[in-house]
Amino acid sequence: MEIGKTTSVCPVCLARIPARKVVGADGNIYLEKRCWDHGPFRTLIWEGDLESYLAWGASDVPGSVIPVGAGAVERGCPYDCGLCQSHERDGCCVLLELTNRCNLRCPVCFASAGEQAPRDLSLEEIGKQYDLLLSRGGPFNIQLSGGEPTMRDDLDAIIALGKEKGFSFFQLNTNGLRLAREPGYAAHLARAGVSTVFLQFDGLEDHIYRTLRGADLTQVKLDAIQACREAGLPVVLVPTVAPGVNDQALGDILRFALSQAPHVRGVHIQPISYFGRCGLEAPEKRLTIPGILRRIEEQTGGLMKYADFGGGGAESPYCSFHASYLHRENGSLKALPRRKSQCCCTKSSEARDYVAQQWSGRVSGSDGDPDTASLDAFLQQVVENTFTVSGMVFQDADNLDLDRLRRCYICEVDSQYGMVPFCAYNLTDRKGRALYRKS
Amino acid sequence: MADKNYYTIDPEGKLTCLKCKCKLEKGRAKFLYLDNGFPVELPVCPKCGFVYVPEELALGKVLSVEKALEDK
Repeated sequence: MEIGKTTSVCPVCLARIPARKVVGADGNIYLEKRCWDHGPFRTLIWEGDLESYLAWGASDVPGSVIPVGAGAVERGCPYDCGLCQSHERDGCCVLLELTNRCNLRCPVCFASAGEQAPRDLSLEEIGKQYDLLLSRGGPFNIQLSGGEPTMRDDLDAIIALGKEKGFSFFQLNTNGLRLAREPGYAAHLARAGVSTVFLQFDGLEDHIYRTLRGADLTQVKLDAIQACREAGLPVVLVPTVAPGVNDQALGDILRFALSQAPHVRGVHIQPISYFGRCGLEAPEKRLTIPGILRRIEEQTGGLMKYADFGGGGAESPYCSFHASYLHRENGSLKALPRRKSQCCCTKSSEARDYVAQQWSGRVSGSDGDPDTASLDAFLQQVVENTFTVSGMVFQDADNLDLDRLRRCYICEVDSQYGMVPFCAYNLTDRKGRALYRKS
Repeated sequence: MADKNYYTIDPEGKLTCLKCKCKLEKGRAKFLYLDNGFPVELPVCPKCGFVYVPEELALGKVLSVEKALEDK
């Protein structure tokens, strides 16, 4: 049964083709499409029934914002990215790929790091990218990415330059090797102004890292978290979740993260996408949002429930999920009301700004300032003990839905194209050829 | 219909209870919400106990606390 139409691309030639969303014989939701040259394709997009699929998107607000400085539509989505006038969201989180060097050689890497000749963006180029972002509606939240950004020794200068230009939030996307191995490095990054460490963290067992990262890394991750704790650097754990590799490790990861709270602020789950360098075959049964949420509920013994989660507000709800919890002293969790427009890189800073803003209101008068210390203490507790579980379902050539892509606010900045939505930038065909990323 | 007033503010910012004509004094009060109590000190009428909650407080911290405590 067809439930909706959209547009996608052929996974073989990346030609734009019509697609339809259908309820399959098993009751799950699929994306079906046909390329006249390369035949039919069918991909699972929702491991659940129609009712749950529609309920998830019920509070969706259609996109309507034309990004600042958007270019003309010439060939149409997804070929005019940078962004173009058919895009429906401003940017919010922007990745700067500072280097393509990496100290790992992961079998799974959306950036295919380490395959090209080593190249770092110069400070001058980075300055131009900051300027470009400012001309496009910035300052945005910056994700220092790569490659492995800690391969560079000048992150402090890169952050200082960004601050000078008005950017204030710098998230470091890292595998944690240098944080774990180099004494004083975490403190150096904290002084430099890193806001949050987005730490690649796929589980607590070495076989997982061997499959996804090509090395035994559990102890490295633990050491990196310890180093960040000592330096006062907040950490978000970021598991890439692959079916049959670590989809049964979600409970362990979440319990571990809670044991490290409040220093570990939350977990941001990324179900694996089959683009870039991906040594794993896309399975018949992909991980979709309900599949992840059911695993979370099962593996945490109901500590975190499917019903605690909602879809994104700014991006398409079918791109993300999140829940916030108040972590009580006795270890129990209380699900907090769902907030809209919560993106992956604003967890702690958003909460901090939110409360700072509320705390700044004071009443003056000859009757004396009201004493509201108990309210302040409670709000402080909410900030310090809020634990967030979120995730983003990236799209690849099989499940790409251009309606979703036009709502994306996570962009890669590229000196040639401008701001390119993450899933367009990393889109590759069956042979690994990209639309935007340079090989 | 005009808003009902419970207090007046003189040019110096002093608050007076409209009903009792008493100057409000800083006194103890308690916000109760969903089984949680928050003792605070706010301008209170010494006679009838009327508590003045500044708008900034009601729409700021108190609203934040309510949001944090509310069930979905």
